[in-house]
Amino acid sequence: MHKLYSNRKVIFSLILPGMLLFVFAILFPIILSAYYGFTDYSGMGKVTFVGFDNYVAIIKDSVFWRAMENSLLLAIGFICIQHPLAIITAAVLDKLGGRAEGFFRCVYFIPNVISVAVIAYLWKFIYNPDFGLLNNVLRFFGKEADINWLSQDYAIWSVLVVLIWHGFGWGMLIYYTGIKNIDPTLYEAAAIDGADQKNTFLRITLPLMKPVIQINVTMAIISALKQMETVYLLTAGGPGDRTQFVANYLYQQAFKAFRYGYGNAIGVVFIIICLFVTVVTNNIFKEKEV
Amino acid sequence: MKFKKLIAVAMVTVMTTAMIGCGSQAADSQAPAESAAQDTSGTAGEEITLKVFSNLPDRKNGQGLVEQTVIDNYMSENPNVKIEVEALDEEAYKTKFKAYSMEGLPDVVSIWGQPSFLDEVLDAGVLAELDESDYADYGFLSGSLDGFKKDGKLYGLPRNTDVAVFYYNAKMFKDNGWEVPATYDDLLKLAGDIKAAGIIPCAMDGGDGWPLAVYLTDVLFKLTNDKYADTATTAIQNADFSNEDIKKAVELLHEADEAGLFQNGYDSQDYGTAQNLFTNGQSAMYYMGSWDASMALNEDIDEEIRNNIRVFTMPVIDGGAAKATDITAWNGGGYAVSASSANLEEAKKFLNYLYLPENLSKIGWENGVGMSAQDETAFMTGNETEVQKQLVDLIGKATNVSGTTINDRGSAAFKTSIESQIQSVSNGSTNVENFLSAISEACK
Repeated sequence: MHKLYSNRKVIFSLILPGMLLFVFAILFPIILSAYYGFTDYSGMGKVTFVGFDNYVAIIKDSVFWRAMENSLLLAIGFICIQHPLAIITAAVLDKLGGRAEGFFRCVYFIPNVISVAVIAYLWKFIYNPDFGLLNNVLRFFGKEADINWLSQDYAIWSVLVVLIWHGFGWGMLIYYTGIKNIDPTLYEAAAIDGADQKNTFLRITLPLMKPVIQINVTMAIISALKQMETVYLLTAGGPGDRTQFVANYLYQQAFKAFRYGYGNAIGVVFIIICLFVTVVTNNIFKEKEV
Repeated sequence: MKFKKLIAVAMVTVMTTAMIGCGSQAADSQAPAESAAQDTSGTAGEEITLKVFSNLPDRKNGQGLVEQTVIDNYMSENPNVKIEVEALDEEAYKTKFKAYSMEGLPDVVSIWGQPSFLDEVLDAGVLAELDESDYADYGFLSGSLDGFKKDGKLYGLPRNTDVAVFYYNAKMFKDNGWEVPATYDDLLKLAGDIKAAGIIPCAMDGGDGWPLAVYLTDVLFKLTNDKYADTATTAIQNADFSNEDIKKAVELLHEADEAGLFQNGYDSQDYGTAQNLFTNGQSAMYYMGSWDASMALNEDIDEEIRNNIRVFTMPVIDGGAAKATDITAWNGGGYAVSASSANLEEAKKFLNYLYLPENLSKIGWENGVGMSAQDETAFMTGNETEVQKQLVDLIGKATNVSGTTINDRGSAAFKTSIESQIQSVSNGSTNVENFLSAISEACK
């Protein structure tokens, strides 16, 4: 068997399917995307090479920068609100034990098993200014509420609430699994030494969760950058591009505005930004480890 | 060694199977070409499969039902022809249309006879040319084919004549003593009266952008009348929207918002929500195209409401050039045949059948799905809904029609821009100058 695995041809045949998948499903589309990014292709008809025109247009495109700003705002929301809450919830769940632990774990994860389309429509109704749940709750408490939660002023915050709420379950579950993998003898030793709950969390749980936090934070940033489905179904980027996100804008330009070349250029910029953010995040965590 | 042999045998087996697979694929791929050759020769009884790509996903109501009925009739009259329908809603449809255009469109497709859609499609040469003389007796309304032509050649046929209207609840109006507004100022005053009665004045699908663009067109047309097409097209071509009438039209759109004409949150609410507000009796009016006239036949809507649905068009504007009988109407959606169709003759034959006056036009009329692009007067029985009669009257008495709406007069990039920016100027988040400057950029 060992001899077989040392055989180059066998090794090649084993990695070939993966290589082919990578080349044709990832590498080739990226190269093609980079190529179309230098053209004015509309998705149909002839292709004309336009050099860096699309990239110059991106720099001048205020909607693209608005979308970028919203994506970064969402990333900050994920890191500063969703993940601290998720990690605290995971730690509390871990201590809860018994049936309650399983029950709440399921409850927090439910939004993740519901289809994005259902989630978006559910929140559309919650936010409706006339018959929406949110305004009715406010009215119940005596407030005169006819707030348009998806208006130009509130829309971005309303969308952020939905996205943070929707992704909470995943983050919580990954942290929960990470906490469950921490050796319980460490907690026992800390208890013998007289450590309280707060110190146990800050000095044992958090430091040992660093690899999990790193993965979760990187995934959160990338998911903020590539946010599309919920926004598309909830507001379609409106009103007036107020809730525009990069991936949604890319789709809008490539497929609605017939600017396939421009959409691809946005895609290339998007990939570069994602790579840059991943490298920066990894470096931040690496520095902390030293 | 034995294991190596085993791998070698397995590899040969996989390779042989793959080659057999390729062989059978090659045989399969030759089949349509051969059958196409036979089809085009017109051999009777030869099995033909036509693919229809439609933007009408609801096959049990409205226009989707009409389209499906004609397709079913065609298949029963031509047993050798099987028609496969792929239907997606408008946005998904347009996305897939583009993907199809790269590899070959299905035989018969839905199209829009407007520059924002058709310019790119015709440039790509994916639609087959039609012979205009074939349709001399089809009763197409004057000028309705124009949007489907390029360089004098016809590439598609229009399905509807769409009219921008305010649907209103006549009983609600009567009970409250409200009158159909005669001027734009009356409309805004009426909005205040309706709001004071605790009812939403007019339901608007502002989340989608295009109904607001139709409203803008409606106002601009009332201001400019004969000069509308020239004003809008020149502004788009020159990327210059400094024209005073355009500015005034945008201001009037914002005034409607300020007067509370539309429901709270209209700028983020969709088609279904807006329509439901009206059909549930929560709003007194609903701004939409004539295709929604089928509401009057929809038994899911409360009888008292559906029997009292009436329409009026945009009232005249003080200082505007248009009269009450100059209406915003256009020929939008339609059908075309793929230039790469393997069954070109049969596809054209089906298209011609689709447009025989007794098919799309008559069946559509009987189902109350708005106005056809063909003359429908022969199909009137007297049993039509009041809305249908009003629409026929509106078109019959029209002294001028606008043609294509402003959002569809430019490129797809312009359409996307105006439809995503118009909510901001309508709700006052951005001023008129910034809005006009933003849409000018999209024209460059």
